[in-house]
Amino acid sequence: MTRPMRAALWCGALGLAAAVVTYPLYANGYYLALGISVLYFTILATAWAMFSGPTRYVSLATVAFFGLGAYTAAVLGETMSWPVVLLAAAGVGALTAAITGLSTLRLSGIYFVIFSFGLAELIRQLVIWYEVNIHKSVGRYLFSAVTQDILYWQLLGLTFIVFLVGWLLGRSRYGLALRAIGTDETAASHSGIDATRIKLGVFILSATFMAMTGAVMAPRWTYIDPAIAFNPTISFQVVIMALLGGAGSLFGPVLGVIPLVLLFEVLTATLPNHFSIVLGIIFVFIVMVLPNGVIGLFGAGRWRVPAGNPAPGAARKTDATLLAVDGVSKSFSGLRAVEDVSFTVAPGEIIGIIGPNGSGKTTLLNTLSGALRPSSGTIRFSGTVLNGLRAHQIARLGLARTFQLVRVMPDLTVAENVAAARLFSTSSGCDATGGELLDLVGLGTMHEAPAGELTYIDQKRLELARALALQPRLVLLDEWLAGLNPSELETGIALIAKLRDRGLTIIMVEHVMDAIRALCGHCIVMNAGSVIARGTPDDVLADPKVVAAYLGGDDA
Amino acid sequence: MLLVDIILPGLVLGGMYALIALGLTLQYGVARIMNLSYGESLVAAAFGAFSLYSGLGLSPLAALLLAVPVAMVLNWLLYRFLLERLMRRGKDRGAQEIDSILVTFGVLFVIQGAMLVAFGGQYYSYSYLSIPLTVMGSTLAVNRLVALLFAAVVGFAVYLALTRTRIGTAVRAIAVDANAARLVGIDVAALSGLAFAFGGGLVAVGGVLVSMFLTFNAAMGVVFTMKALVVVIMGGVGNVLGALVAGLLLGVVETAVARLVDPGLTLAATYALFLGVLLIKPTGLFGRAAS
Repeated sequence: MTRPMRAALWCGALGLAAAVVTYPLYANGYYLALGISVLYFTILATAWAMFSGPTRYVSLATVAFFGLGAYTAAVLGETMSWPVVLLAAAGVGALTAAITGLSTLRLSGIYFVIFSFGLAELIRQLVIWYEVNIHKSVGRYLFSAVTQDILYWQLLGLTFIVFLVGWLLGRSRYGLALRAIGTDETAASHSGIDATRIKLGVFILSATFMAMTGAVMAPRWTYIDPAIAFNPTISFQVVIMALLGGAGSLFGPVLGVIPLVLLFEVLTATLPNHFSIVLGIIFVFIVMVLPNGVIGLFGAGRWRVPAGNPAPGAARKTDATLLAVDGVSKSFSGLRAVEDVSFTVAPGEIIGIIGPNGSGKTTLLNTLSGALRPSSGTIRFSGTVLNGLRAHQIARLGLARTFQLVRVMPDLTVAENVAAARLFSTSSGCDATGGELLDLVGLGTMHEAPAGELTYIDQKRLELARALALQPRLVLLDEWLAGLNPSELETGIALIAKLRDRGLTIIMVEHVMDAIRALCGHCIVMNAGSVIARGTPDDVLADPKVVAAYLGGDDA
Repeated sequence: MLLVDIILPGLVLGGMYALIALGLTLQYGVARIMNLSYGESLVAAAFGAFSLYSGLGLSPLAALLLAVPVAMVLNWLLYRFLLERLMRRGKDRGAQEIDSILVTFGVLFVIQGAMLVAFGGQYYSYSYLSIPLTVMGSTLAVNRLVALLFAAVVGFAVYLALTRTRIGTAVRAIAVDANAARLVGIDVAALSGLAFAFGGGLVAVGGVLVSMFLTFNAAMGVVFTMKALVVVIMGGVGNVLGALVAGLLLGVVETAVARLVDPGLTLAATYALFLGVLLIKPTGLFGRAAS
């Protein structure tokens, strides 16, 4: 961009900002009211997209928080000073979000939508019940000295704050973490991301903004009752506006807010009876035709996040035993998938776990990585007991994994996939940068490609790079070599050998016996959940029990 | 007797919830459409029955013969022209579900708006078979019992159709895994459309039956949608028997709360129950364990 152009842009932006700030000075009542509508929907839609955009947890509960804020202002507005009222509204919104979030954010998307769909109704019912039975009258009058001008400027300030917070969030590691959770929550937690806590935090943040908007807007009505404060149409309008503009980016929602607020204004004036029909048709149209919103048309749908800096490497401990698995069992209501498995892994070793399909190998790995809790037994990783720790905690301790059915985060780029695993890494190990790791696995030229577009083999490579980005001391490879052609297999084996030479400890579940022979010093053979043999690959593969397990026959 | 006064009306109410939820079980469980306009369709059918009864003097049970085919055709068109495209576009089940929620959300407004234009916002009801009947010391209206009987018959028929016929088996296969169903030669798109249309027909049954004894207005579809969703999810997605038990449970709990605590808190009770089940067993009371 040339210098004069940039200067012109700056002047334009400053001019626009000045026009927006001084708007009440020259806009009359009707246009000022319109400006107020644009601002409050901007805050609501931006706050909505802050949480629902990246996580894809579609929340239909906007009005629950908005209404709580408005009601708090109505109840406290007469007796307390305005800043206190605003803080109280924010607090009520945050607290409600915390309680509902804690219980619902663990659920998968669909349940969340349904719950949020009814949350506003539930809260409205509770407020009505409270007003009827405790306050003895439904509805409150609100006499306030707040003029339209002041209301406008308060909303403008809040708009500025919501954009600032959204921008900071998008740039922070939490922004990338949130998107990683949205694209594959399991992969994200195995990359050391505490999915529940981050979702909850952003949900609370978003709800706080909604509640404050409600409080600021309360003086606009002189009379508030639950039907006004918890009008469900607001939730719906916010969702369409954010979707029309594009929920995946910070400035997307506002692009949807402006045209729709104007349209709704025209509709209420000209077609008041057909308002909801037109609203519905617009909604259907947006979902069918503009799935990524207006901003998606310009290809500016996403945030770019700089790759995280590697965490400072702590001194490496040299334990005699890195991993000690002692008597681990896992049963699924009667079916014992893993039974009393014990083994130890020394640092720098490659252990192979082999056995027929269905013998419990992946279940065993799942108990190690925290995807499943063992039913009994203990797992110690360099002295720390892993039982009961959650996947992200185990990942942060330096125990990384890949998945049998490959799990990359498809909507993030290759580089972002790796960066996501670094966000909360505290472990020490190989200190390569994300770029070096991608070079190492052979994806050096594909940093900006969306991970979902990689071939199967490249996705496997990416998964390994992501596991290594955790700077692990132990990596669990679940059939990482499966499906490779002979030359890729050779490269793959060489890569694993290289990792071992760098001091990484590896447990590999594998069916490719050539790889087991070439890489593993020690092997465990599982069948029907139990260990049936252990030793060097050549020894166990010659063991008649192992042959019988693979090929069938009398193994009594 | 208080206990009978709670359990008997509770079961009747619950039977109605199960009936309301049957169609959604098919639409969500099989066609994978979380239809948020479900309650509006139900209320539309109720208005249809009302119009036929007050205009032509047609009994609601006869109105079923008209309402069900019309609802099936409309739902099939909805699936064919809007939802099927979303199903093809969605990358995974999650994306499909979210898209279908959003689109049916729009449909919700269209139906609701049309009903508001046609009937306004006031409440409607008509009197059909509202003869009191005393059962074990508790008073019930005959129309409720007739509705319950119908619900039981229809529910049982759906259950048989799903478990005892070839098409029913194919439909259940789609509910379990649409991709695998495709691999064994099941025409997933056509059968999903059929299941969706069938679900729509069941909504019409629910709406017509409910209109015999409930007062309704154009804006109350959301309440029915919520109840149906709660029942379907509590019962385990796609599980007809589960929906029945969950519906009965919900009816008894609501009646108990209304009787013993406060009628204003029934919806809160619904949510508490729903949330409890979700937290303890997210796949529903009879759902399979999550994979």
